[in-house]
Amino acid sequence: MFPVRCFTCGAVIAHKWEEYSKKLEEGKTPKEALDELGITRHCCRRMFLTYKSVVEEFARFHGAVG
Amino acid sequence: MKLEFVEDGELRASFILRNASAAFANSVRRAMKSLVPTMAVDYVDIYLNTSCLYDEVLAHRIGLIPLITKLDKFNMPEECSCGGEGCPNCQVSLRLNVEGPKLVYSGDFVSDDPETVPVYGNIPVVKLYKGQQLMIEAVARLGTGKEHAKYQPVSVCAYKIIPNIQVSSECSGCEECVKACPRSVLEFKDGEVKVKDVLACSMCMECVNVCSEGTIKVEETNDYLFTVESIGSMPVKNIIQKALEILIDKAKGMNETLAVLGEES
Ligand SMILES: [Zn+2]
Ligand SMILES: [Zn+2]
Repeated sequence: MFPVRCFTCGAVIAHKWEEYSKKLEEGKTPKEALDELGITRHCCRRMFLTYKSVVEEFARFHGAVG
Repeated sequence: MKLEFVEDGELRASFILRNASAAFANSVRRAMKSLVPTMAVDYVDIYLNTSCLYDEVLAHRIGLIPLITKLDKFNMPEECSCGGEGCPNCQVSLRLNVEGPKLVYSGDFVSDDPETVPVYGNIPVVKLYKGQQLMIEAVARLGTGKEHAKYQPVSVCAYKIIPNIQVSSECSGCEECVKACPRSVLEFKDGEVKVKDVLACSMCMECVNVCSEGTIKVEETNDYLFTVESIGSMPVKNIIQKALEILIDKAKGMNETLAVLGEES
């Protein structure tokens, strides 16, 4: 799941996640999307750029052992 | 000492503190960061969790969600008449009862107090797949940034010195300093080097180093530029005000202690 806050500065970022992924789907580059959302610090920007969801992969095996 | 607001928003503000000592500027910063109380979820009762996330991971995520804080409405748990046990005057329960398939948002929490709710309703908490269930009671209380970063009312809270930049009349106008400045503080106009944007200066001293004539000087002053960003639990102005009130209280306490010590000796 997407981190609620930026690891470095502690600013809340998760409330912008959905808008960000929508902008990417529209074909915008990450730079354009982040600039439009007003995420200016590079610590917060890398949170978006380097995020990879693994919940879906987990869910496939969920309940198999426990 | 004087305060001047440069930017004054609900979530972001910057102001100039004039004629203060470095110690005072730093104590204001630290008071804002670690002494102003904020509401956050501290204790989580998990009755049922069949989601992908472990209980502790889930509790941690819930703790980080900012809650709207009405400071005059709640007591600090240790100062409360209940003695820290927990009562409606010092804590709020947020309940969550959901079943998948569903993406659970911070806005799905049902709060006991309609004024103490998550600042943003669209923070994804966990994704539930078919058959996964959550039954949670999260208990929020007041705390300070000293205790845990989730109680900090600010994210960015920093200050820097506003320098005094002087160019003497012997300057030949080679423009080296204008080119060297990484923040374009200086400009060359009417045959003179002028200061365009002194607030942007980070005192990197690049202009002084590059000047072969030694005609530019950057000096420290007693003015500080603060930048404060709220996480949304309360407006920045309230945070600044509360921090200053706390500092006044602390100074009064210190004076009383000193007076007692003076009597004893
Ligand atoms: Zn950040
Ligand atoms: Zn109480």
